[in-house]
Parts: sequence; structure tokens; C-alpha cells
Amino acid sequence: MSMFDGLKFRNISSPIHRIDPRAKFIYVLTFFIIAVFFNQLIPLLILFFSQIPLIIIAKVKKEWLRLIKGSSFFATIIFIMNVISLYFYSGYSSLASIIEQASAMTVRFIVLVESFSIFFLTTSPDMLGLSLEQIGIPYEFCFAFTTAIRFVPILAEEAQTIIDAQRARGLELEGENFMKRIRNYVPILIPLIVNAIRRSLELAEAMESRAWGATEKRTTLYMLKMERRDYCLILISALMLVASLYAWLFIKIPTMTQILNIQG
Amino acid sequence: MAIIEARNLTYTYPYAESPAFKDVTLRIERGEFILLTGPSGCGKTTLCRCFNGLIPHFYGGKLEGEITVAGLRTIEHPIHEIAQHVGLVFQNPENQLFALTIEKDVAFGLENLGLPRDEMRRRVDWALKVTGIYDLKNRAPFEVFGGQQQRVAIASVLAMQPEVIVLDEPTSFLDPLSARNILGVINRLNKELGITIILVEHRLDLASRYANRVIVMNEGQIILDGEPRKVFLENEAALIGVGIPKVVRLYMLLKRAGLNIGRVPLSPEELSKSIMEALIFDRG
Repeated sequence: MSMFDGLKFRNISSPIHRIDPRAKFIYVLTFFIIAVFFNQLIPLLILFFSQIPLIIIAKVKKEWLRLIKGSSFFATIIFIMNVISLYFYSGYSSLASIIEQASAMTVRFIVLVESFSIFFLTTSPDMLGLSLEQIGIPYEFCFAFTTAIRFVPILAEEAQTIIDAQRARGLELEGENFMKRIRNYVPILIPLIVNAIRRSLELAEAMESRAWGATEKRTTLYMLKMERRDYCLILISALMLVASLYAWLFIKIPTMTQILNIQG
Repeated sequence: MAIIEARNLTYTYPYAESPAFKDVTLRIERGEFILLTGPSGCGKTTLCRCFNGLIPHFYGGKLEGEITVAGLRTIEHPIHEIAQHVGLVFQNPENQLFALTIEKDVAFGLENLGLPRDEMRRRVDWALKVTGIYDLKNRAPFEVFGGQQQRVAIASVLAMQPEVIVLDEPTSFLDPLSARNILGVINRLNKELGITIILVEHRLDLASRYANRVIVMNEGQIILDGEPRKVFLENEAALIGVGIPKVVRLYMLLKRAGLNIGRVPLSPEELSKSIMEALIFDRG
């Protein structure tokens, strides 16, 4: 679960939290594109470190660190896979350049995770739903989206209760046999699903009682409005994109091994 | 003028063999505070679902007889139209709150109705103040206590300004103190705003002092209907397992022992006053 905690929103106030989700999303997307552009270690490291001030301003350092720690497992797999495939299938001569290339891929993965985590850590799901609504996605989908997010912690708690109850009746969840362990999860899944269905019926009942579907033209309590800082952020994203495009086309980026060789 | 009127109402759930309630005739006046009670499975909840059109529109099944709510025949009008006249508060607060801030949850019904934003803001703030949770408006509903969650549920129904609020065991997930506070809020809605209240409740010790009418159901039928001071004295009520308030039971024991203290008490305060009066009268 620790990896997903890094994506869980906590309602605090910071300049980053107040930015319009749409602007923030454009920024994150820009980062994503730039990270995909480059496959050298140095620019990817620059991308990685340039995000850290944002995380400090947004006061989500602890969650972010947990996310990085959680993703280290996947990062390791990516690193190993890259080393192996580069060794066997490509023309890289030295071990140093293979390791550099593999690290670049790993850092790229971490940058992608990092930028999405900034987005999800600082954007309330409500605001996210609202921005989906305002870019014209039908309300039913937005509602389903925010409701799903709202019920994740409740379902997790319920799952734990069921696990405890079944364990108290002697259900074995730790065992050597993988297939048997999977089969033992059935008595947990069935009550969980039945409960979820029952819950959704109650929810539907409550929605109907609050005039769901009364009018085609639904209004909203909150309204997202793009402000100057949001336009600024979009502008910065655009500039970043242009600059990196320029660097990608016209600047020959040295590799770490080259730099170290010159020095050595 | 009756706000809810049911005549010979019988309802059977889809695939059920026997009806959930049979031949219910009921007339509820504007401004009444009704306590609806009876053993589990007696058809109370099913009856509540009829009041705002969940039955038959949401549940299907077979509804026979006549029911009009605020002048609308529920069979002919969709739920969202009836919901503007009758608000329904459910047992589990967790499953009736949708949004990630309390304020937005209270606005949910109004958003569905398509109200303009300033009108919505005004009504949301009003409902939050009446239920005493204005200070919590930016918190998430699942972060606050059960009692406060139930206040949010009441506020969100209240914001739609219904004439009737039906509450289906709103205190069963709450501790005694929160339950008492919630019942106080419900009483204020009735006495200060004149909203008709139909309260399904097992905790009669706490709730009966507010009600001016008690309806007892058993096995799908209304068996007692009248003033609380009369209904609780009936033998039948005790026999089917209605939790007769302790003060009423003490009254009956005193009476059997030969001490008549006059009016049937509905709260400990009333009881102690009557006993004091009776004692002074005895000495004098």
C-alpha cells in the first residue's frame, strides 16, 4: 500500500494546491513529454532535481519520499532489465556506458512517477472531478470518478475487517503454496463484493432522494476559474517545452562517462 | 391539511412472497412530529421509502392503494420531484454522503436541481448553521465523527427546504450523547421551522419527549396510533417488544403500587416534577 499512499490527497493549503488543476495538468504533461524526449542521464537528472523545490513548497515531502521508496522496487527491476538487454542486444562497448544508459531509463521512470505524484498529492479529487466536468466530460463519469476515490479508504477498511473476521475463524492466509493462498482469498473477496454491491444500492437510494437527475442543466457550488498564476504556469510549461526541444535538436549533450573521462 | 395521506396501501417487494405491509391507512398533518416504531422487519423502513417515491420508482414491486404526498400522487411523479417535498435521512451516514467536502455534500441536492450559485450558497450556509456544523464546512465528511456525519446528512436534506423530513433510525450508529444531540437538532427543525418530522427510532427513552404522535407497527400493520402518553400505556406495545420509556414504566409501577402521580411522564424531568408534586400533596 505504501506506494499508493504517495498518490493520496491530503487537504492542506499551499501555493501549489491552489493552482487550477487544468494548469497543473498541462505542467505535468509537459514534464512527461520532456522526460520522454531525452534518454541521456544528465538532462533527466536535471528534470528530477528541478521538481524538488515544488515538493517542498507544496509541503508534501513525507508522502513524496514514501512514494519514491515505494517505487524503488520497480525502479530496480527497470534498471536490471535495462542492463541485461543492453548487454546482450546493443552495441554498447563499455560497462560504464551500459550502466549510465540503464540509470537514465530508471531516472526517467522516477521522474514520471514524481511529476504525477505532485499532481495527485496537491489536487483534491473534488477539484479534479470539477475540472473534468468543466472540460466537458459528462457529469455521470465525473461523479463515478470522485465517488470511486472517496470510497477507496472505506473499502480498504472493510477489507481489513473481513480479513480479521475470517482469520479469527481460522482462515490461513500465509502459506507456502501460492495457488492455495490465492484460493484462500476467495472467502475474503465474496463478502467484500457483496458488501460493495449493497453499499452501492444504498448510495443510489440516497442519490435518488437528493433529486439526482432532476434537470439536464446541473449547476455546481464551486467554479474553477483560471487566474494569472495559472496562465503563468502554462506559459512556463510552454517555454520549458520549447527550450528542451531546442536543446534536443541543437545541443549535443555530453554523457556522464565523457565528463568523467575528461576529468580523469 | 394533510401533508401525507395513505389509503389501503399494500406493498410487495419484487420476488417477495408476502407483502412488506398490508392495508395501511394513515393521515399525517402538517407540522406533526411523528415517532414511528416497532420491532425490526415490521415494515417501518419500507413505509418510509413510500413517502418519497423510492417505492415504487426505485424498488419496483407491486404497490396497491393510494398515497399522496404534499398533494402529489407518488406513483405519477418521479422521485426527484417528490424529493423536493420530502427529505429522507438514512441509517448509515457513510453511505449517503458523496462529496469530499461537507459543504459540497450539502450542495449536492441543490446542484441536481440546477439552482443558481448565489441561491445555492445562501441555502447551504443556512442549512449548515441550523445543524451547527458551519465551522466544519471545508472538512471531508469521512473525517468527522458519526454524529457530525449524521448532521451533514440532515443539513443536505434540509438545504432542499422540504416540508417533511423522514429519518430512518438516524441514531443507530451513534453513541448516546451524539444521539441526544441529533434528536435535539431534529426537534428544533420541527418546533422552530415547522417541518413535519417522521422519525423511525428504537431509542424511545430519548425520542418520545419530542413527539406529539406515536405510531407502532408490527408485522406490516399499524397496530397503535396516538398520543405518546396513551400509546405507551397499552399492553400491546409492551408485548410486541417496543422499548417503552423507563419513565413510563416507573409511572405504571407506581400506579400499580397505589401512587397516582397524574400525567404520564415522557422525560425524567417530568417524572421528578410529578413525584415531587405528589409527595407535597400527600404531606399537605
